[in-house]
Amino acid sequence: MPSAVRSASPRHNGITKLTNCRLVRGDDLVWDDVWVSSATGKIIRSQSAFYDELIMPDEVIDLGGRIVSPGFIECQLNGAYGFNFSTATDDMAQYGKQLRDLNKKLAQTGVTSYIPTVTSQTSDLYKKVLPYLGPSGSSRRPHDGAESLGAHVEGPFLNPTKNGVHNPSVLRVASSFADLEEMYGAANLTPPSFQGSKPPTSGSSSSPEIPIKMITAAPELGAMTDLIPALTARGILVSIGHSEATYEEASAAVSAGATMITHLFNAMRPLHHRNPGIFGVLGATEQPHHSHSQPDQAEQKKKRPYFGLIADGIHLHPATIKIAWHAHPAGLILVTDAMHMVGLPDGRYPWTNGEGEHYIVKKGSVLELEGTGVIAGSSTTLTTCLTNFLAATDATIPQALRAVTATPAAMLGVAGIKGCLDAGADADLVVLSEHETDGEVGRRRELVVDEVWKFGVRVFERS
Amino acid sequence: MRFFIRDDAAAASAHVASYIVDRINHFAPTPAHPFVLGLPTGSTPLGVYKALVEKYKAGVVSFENVVTFNMDEYIGIPRDHPESYHSFMWKHFFSHVNIHPSNVHILNGNAPNLEAECVEYEAKIQAAGGIDLFLAGMGEDGHIAFNEPGSSLASRTRVKTLAYGTILANSRFFNNDLDKVPKMALTVGVQTVLEAREVVVLALGARKALALQRCVEQGVNHMWTLSALHLHPHSMIVCDEDATLELQVKTVKYFKDIEQVARAQGFEQILPSKVRTGPATVPATAVVPTTIVTDEFPAPTIHSPQPTTSRLLRATPATEYPLRSRSPSPDLTTPRHLLRATPSETEYTQDTEYTADSRSTTPDFMPDSMASRTGDPALLRRMTPNPERQRSKSPALVAVPRANGIRV
Repeated sequence: MPSAVRSASPRHNGITKLTNCRLVRGDDLVWDDVWVSSATGKIIRSQSAFYDELIMPDEVIDLGGRIVSPGFIECQLNGAYGFNFSTATDDMAQYGKQLRDLNKKLAQTGVTSYIPTVTSQTSDLYKKVLPYLGPSGSSRRPHDGAESLGAHVEGPFLNPTKNGVHNPSVLRVASSFADLEEMYGAANLTPPSFQGSKPPTSGSSSSPEIPIKMITAAPELGAMTDLIPALTARGILVSIGHSEATYEEASAAVSAGATMITHLFNAMRPLHHRNPGIFGVLGATEQPHHSHSQPDQAEQKKKRPYFGLIADGIHLHPATIKIAWHAHPAGLILVTDAMHMVGLPDGRYPWTNGEGEHYIVKKGSVLELEGTGVIAGSSTTLTTCLTNFLAATDATIPQALRAVTATPAAMLGVAGIKGCLDAGADADLVVLSEHETDGEVGRRRELVVDEVWKFGVRVFERS
Repeated sequence: MRFFIRDDAAAASAHVASYIVDRINHFAPTPAHPFVLGLPTGSTPLGVYKALVEKYKAGVVSFENVVTFNMDEYIGIPRDHPESYHSFMWKHFFSHVNIHPSNVHILNGNAPNLEAECVEYEAKIQAAGGIDLFLAGMGEDGHIAFNEPGSSLASRTRVKTLAYGTILANSRFFNNDLDKVPKMALTVGVQTVLEAREVVVLALGARKALALQRCVEQGVNHMWTLSALHLHPHSMIVCDEDATLELQVKTVKYFKDIEQVARAQGFEQILPSKVRTGPATVPATAVVPTTIVTDEFPAPTIHSPQPTTSRLLRATPATEYPLRSRSPSPDLTTPRHLLRATPSETEYTQDTEYTADSRSTTPDFMPDSMASRTGDPALLRRMTPNPERQRSKSPALVAVPRANGIRV
């Protein structure tokens, strides 16, 4: 007897099909569907699921032509909603609870993964907070919200002359790896399974065994440049920042394995035409230098580092953003450098910076260290940074989104897992609507986060 | 054959899509009574799929109870290769509608035993109750599915070697690397297509004009396999203006006139209602009646036409709807048996005189002349050339009564 199978499958497979949407694929927006599974938390290969497993989605969601982007990845976030990663609490259980609250709220801004940033602090504080800030995605619970990919320790091996709002009295110079271990705690630096000095393969570089993912340091100080290979061998990324490094020093750090520049232009020497400083390494050619006799060195030199850019509208002039974008579009990562005041009302907030009491004054999205005029991070969101970036450059929307998705994922060694919409990647998505507003300077393209999906489950929907 | 000419490719595709949607909706498919659709790949049907998807999204049609069979698939490329017909169907149709994967059938070009795969495919079509509507495109050489020129018009699902020209043409989809182009394919046969209850062919563009001319204006020809369509009782060709370039003006005008007149008369060129609705009205018990009234004999009448192809090609006839519910042995022997017992059949002898009553119900292959139809024996004798000689020379022909051309 011929019969047709009913399409309403009785068993629920947790698969949702998002349709009538434009997917960010490389530099294009492509009209396509994306199938996500809440069971595996991943984007699934729909054609195989259909033909092999005879699966139909439980639910089909029509997005009305909106943009689906991979979830945003934030590489410079100091805290939010009143919680500062660099402030330990007397009862550290409270720290963990506040962190979980932050993760849930942060996900609503479209940030599905991030590296919590700890500023220059004393050794005690690092040892206290770092165990809380390590990779948190292993449980794959969607409603945990944003996921830490590991901590970003910004300091304390920074140049005192480029301290920004970091307390100069806690800044240190490292002359050996023991100095690093003493500062951060050996258990936070070296995975238990660490074998030797061989750098990990790209797939295993995101070691879940240690909390630290990235260290920002001034390579010109002490033995820092020489210590870079020891760090990268442990799966820790090294970023150049808060530094007086010359072009030569920065190039040496890149050759040694530094792959990132922390908030380019801020807290470093400005570009000088005879010594272009850290920014200059973006001008390096990516071809191997044939004059170098050692092929290893040439191999490392050909890769220009990624760089963070605070496009909050305050830290950088739009033209500066555009110059950096054109210098190395594939390396640009938009960051907020947001402080814990983000998401709080205007006012005067205490700022504990190692020692002493300081205050930061929040006025709109501007943060200033009270009485100094120094910009103290930002209180912006990554979405605002995207809007600013679109206004400052001639980038297309997928190009801009790449700076908060695929590029940071590649920098963090999680390409193919985060920051893309390919089958097999984690189903962390952001549904964006596009708005064009008439600003003071012509049309302004703006992106609004409508929905956020984490591990195949919708965790936020704009009302 | 119905033949519709539309101004451009978009209009022709829209016409086909609307037709399919109307057929499905009128059929009112249910899980027990699915609509079985045969589907092509290639550039021609893209517009049809697009329109079908749009209609699905607009809520005009549902594919929930539609079963599909695809025409062909390459051998030896991975199923999820971007150029595979699995990928094509997924990309352009299945991923956009509510068709259930269990209802989708595409030949497996990576099956361990390709011959068994083909046999099984035919069996699956039978098990699904036969194909209600086979949509097809047409090659520039008039091929249907991968039945390239010279294919048997009685062919069934089988392994087919691709012509060198086809391989060359396909290489553009495989980085212009001939080594990567599949050399073989699995395809349904011409006969498989003809056994569908209805065949709808879309031909678009000037490049198809010559093939269309051969298939529409010329006779059945194995070198233009689509021309076998003439043997099907319910075929339909839809084309755009460009594809008519090689047709005679007379042909084009004729079919356009027919459509125009039919429309003016409020008459749709549609299928007999029995074919359109399927066995929906057949009682659920579906018990085969012990006696079958002779007027249900599937003679080529307007209400229950049988494709002549089946008899010409000595293959299983394309089953019209009543057969789906009469599963045990839905062939034609029973009615024939009843006919043989009919006492009105006269034993013909040399002396039997022809009258109007003495004619067989289906006088195929009967010696015939206009004179024999007058009913006046005197006239017959006078007007038949050499009547005496004829009678003495071929007594067997006139002596044995025949029903429907078959000796009983």
